[in-house]
Amino acid sequence: MMTAAPAARADELMRYVGSRLLTTVLIVVGAMLLLFTLSAVVPGDPATTLLGPQATPELSQRFIAEMGLDQPLPTRLWRFFSNVARGNLGTDVISGRPVAGLIREVIPYTLILTFSAIGLAVVIGVPLGVYAATHRSSALDNILAFVSVAFIAVPSFVIAIFLLLIFAIWLDWLPVLGASRTGALGDEFKRMILPTVALALGWIGFIARLVRASMLEVMGEPYIRTSRAYGLPERLVTYKYALKNACIPTITILGLGIGRLLSNAVLVEIVFARPGLGRLIYQAISERNYPVVQGAVLVVVVLFVGVNLLVDLSYSAIDPRIRHTTSDHGVAG
Amino acid sequence: MSALAGAGNLLRRVCGTFIGTTGLVIVAVVLVAAIFAPWVATADPDRLDVMNRFAAPSLLHWLGTDHLGRDLYSRLVHGATVAMSVALSAIAIALSLGTLLGILAAYLPTRLERFILIVFDVIYSFPSLVLALAIVAVFGPSTLMVVIVVAITLTPHFGRVARAQVLTLKSAPFLEAERILGASFPRMVLHHVLPNILGPLVILASMDIPVVITIEAGLSFLGLGVRPPLASWGTLIQDGYQFLSDSWVPVVVASLALAFATLGFTLFGEALRDAVDPRIRGER
Amino acid sequence: MPPPLVSIRNLVLEASTTRGTAHILRGIDLEVGRGRILGVVGESGSGKSSLAACLLRLLPSNLTRLGGEIVFDGVDLIALDEAAMNAYRGRRIAMIFQDPMTALNPLFTIGTHLVDVLRRRHPGVSREDAMARASLALQSVGIADAPLRLRSYPHQLSGGMRQRVMIAMALLVEPDLLLADECTTALDATVEAQIVALLEGLRRGFDGSIVFISHHLGLVAQLCDDLCVMYAGTIVETGPVADVLAQPRHPYTRALLACELDDHARGGRLVSIPGEIPDPAAAHVACVFAPRCAHALDVCRESIPLLRHAGPGRRAACVRFEELAEAPA
Repeated sequence: MMTAAPAARADELMRYVGSRLLTTVLIVVGAMLLLFTLSAVVPGDPATTLLGPQATPELSQRFIAEMGLDQPLPTRLWRFFSNVARGNLGTDVISGRPVAGLIREVIPYTLILTFSAIGLAVVIGVPLGVYAATHRSSALDNILAFVSVAFIAVPSFVIAIFLLLIFAIWLDWLPVLGASRTGALGDEFKRMILPTVALALGWIGFIARLVRASMLEVMGEPYIRTSRAYGLPERLVTYKYALKNACIPTITILGLGIGRLLSNAVLVEIVFARPGLGRLIYQAISERNYPVVQGAVLVVVVLFVGVNLLVDLSYSAIDPRIRHTTSDHGVAG
Repeated sequence: MSALAGAGNLLRRVCGTFIGTTGLVIVAVVLVAAIFAPWVATADPDRLDVMNRFAAPSLLHWLGTDHLGRDLYSRLVHGATVAMSVALSAIAIALSLGTLLGILAAYLPTRLERFILIVFDVIYSFPSLVLALAIVAVFGPSTLMVVIVVAITLTPHFGRVARAQVLTLKSAPFLEAERILGASFPRMVLHHVLPNILGPLVILASMDIPVVITIEAGLSFLGLGVRPPLASWGTLIQDGYQFLSDSWVPVVVASLALAFATLGFTLFGEALRDAVDPRIRGER
Repeated sequence: MPPPLVSIRNLVLEASTTRGTAHILRGIDLEVGRGRILGVVGESGSGKSSLAACLLRLLPSNLTRLGGEIVFDGVDLIALDEAAMNAYRGRRIAMIFQDPMTALNPLFTIGTHLVDVLRRRHPGVSREDAMARASLALQSVGIADAPLRLRSYPHQLSGGMRQRVMIAMALLVEPDLLLADECTTALDATVEAQIVALLEGLRRGFDGSIVFISHHLGLVAQLCDDLCVMYAGTIVETGPVADVLAQPRHPYTRALLACELDDHARGGRLVSIPGEIPDPAAAHVACVFAPRCAHALDVCRESIPLLRHAGPGRRAACVRFEELAEAPA
């Protein structure tokens, strides 16, 4: 009986890893196919439709050459995939610069914004959730129940606009727009505050609720009863023994929410006129610069997939049942 | 008769909590504004009055006017119509498509089922606004585009739940009996499966309304959704945002309207879910 | 004769459920002698696990009433505030749980579990010392390669091993009272026998008292000094194990014994007494066993029988035990 269980678990794990990898690859390939198909099914003459009124003859020429629109479809598809595989995301039709370079310039801004928002949300949301779970029906728990719904429900770009209005325009405490031009760290930090808070508020509510629900569930587990039966201090039981278990379902759901966070980051970047992938895509759309849109959207998707893989890896850091599967051996007692 | 009584009972339970009552009131206000917009509004939302730009709130213009002198209150009311029609049509499409695919997945051979599930996973986890941006970049912004994009991104949500519901239902004795008695597949689905799985799906739908309103407003705010001069909350925020230095009133009232609506629908959806699902009700 | 270690008087435990107030314990009077092993037997739902939970005051949140007194070495545990009660847990009272598969936290090593418990008991102990003592404790419960096992996670151990770990944890705090709540029920028969043999062996080195809760009379007979038979939140009979089993006074004890003898299946689960255990929500106005008792009279259905003296060190809660003693079982 005990010898069969680890084998079954290893099998299950392999299937899980397999399906995760498959999903990851499928998301990227699906996104590439979609982006390619979009450029292929464009109604009318692609060059004029995609470039719009700015389509001068030479610009059209360059666009057609750049996108390979004069080639047959399978050739274009092959070219697209092999170019992407080599890190070539195409060329900006207007400036003629490589798209990959444009993206490399702005991607740190998006990454820093998203990760600092997640960081802020975790630092505030987790303790709030733990507090709400350990002080059920307390005043703060009830307030949190309402406030967290409000934070989740109100769109983050609306929060961004209000923060901008209140702290930058009315109170004039923080710089209004953009990133620091001088590259001074202090200035950039100040400019980061409002976008980060705007992006993080919804996630604070989200995380607090998730942690609260998971903690309530974990607190009822027999192993917590064991810790209590041995009189371990409440802080140790809550923050060491219970919280680690509560993190597992929380992380699962957070992983699913990353897509929404990236979408929100795009909007927040635009509200605060910050450089970043969102603003790059937005400008490219208004300039009808399709190669840039294509490349930047693809990078967002890869980013998303990458973060999700990180989430998966964090499981094995937390849960020994996943980590130890390969070297597992049951011993009959 | 019993369905009506059940609905009444449900409504009473939703109203039993502060959150539920708040949500219900907001939802009712938004729905009345959306359905009866021409009567609720005090002016033609598109009538320009350039002499009267950024007028302060008054008896004539309850919330003042925007940068073209249009009546803000009336534009907000008509914005409710746009938001609700986009939300409801997108969700109706996603609900039907998702339910169909979910039921199919539950009855199809494992390999096809797994394929459908993976496609669901891919779409579900995709950053939906970014997907919308790519599509809009090619087809140009329009209300129809918003509906289509949102419908696609929401379909897996319903599909997964529909499939799970069908799977738990499949082995129910009454369905077994029907099958043995020789009921045809469409008959079984229409008469027995669908009525039994619709409840949770409708609750999901109600919880997705604020999500759709947010996406529509976000896209319209970027100028990539509903086209001006049509009044959507997103375009109102965008208009106001551009003229923020002239007046903060349009941005604030439009943002508040949007926040108010999404909050109301979220509260209502949660109260509805808690009222229906006793397992979750214990949680909060 | 020294006073008993634990003396329970009129212990009442009630909880609110969807069907009304559940009377989990309906007035328990019981003593646990120093250095003795008390076996508590009864069907599931008889309140025996709740009795153990009361001793540690680890009770469910839907609890509405905890009354009576539990005098532990001169102190009434019921009257203590939470902090004072917590001082007893893991110091003077330790517990081994029913299901070793869920009683250990899956995300922490055996070593972490044992060290945290030990350092709570003896705050001055260094981590290294604690590890060394944990390792010794594992050896004392028959776990080979203890240093390796300290680094293992619960899922890497079999059920029997995990229960040994739980026993090691309990011994590590050198309690005056050890509660073993159906600690062999979740294990299969051979492992169960090993664990019982282990507990028997440990008796020699352990001078505290043990409350051994089981629904297996055979195990109790093998391991315990005293026996307490519970039914529907009440005690129906107590006394020295050998005496009670040789000459059961209460009809329920006889029925239990008959089941055990009848049952050739492994473990001998107590399922074959006709009828069902009474609804815990029902009011307590008569003998709780009367509805299932072959000897019940009107008086049994009209008043609560007292738990009365029934021989040296023995008590039984049946109005008819004297006359039934003569009748064939």
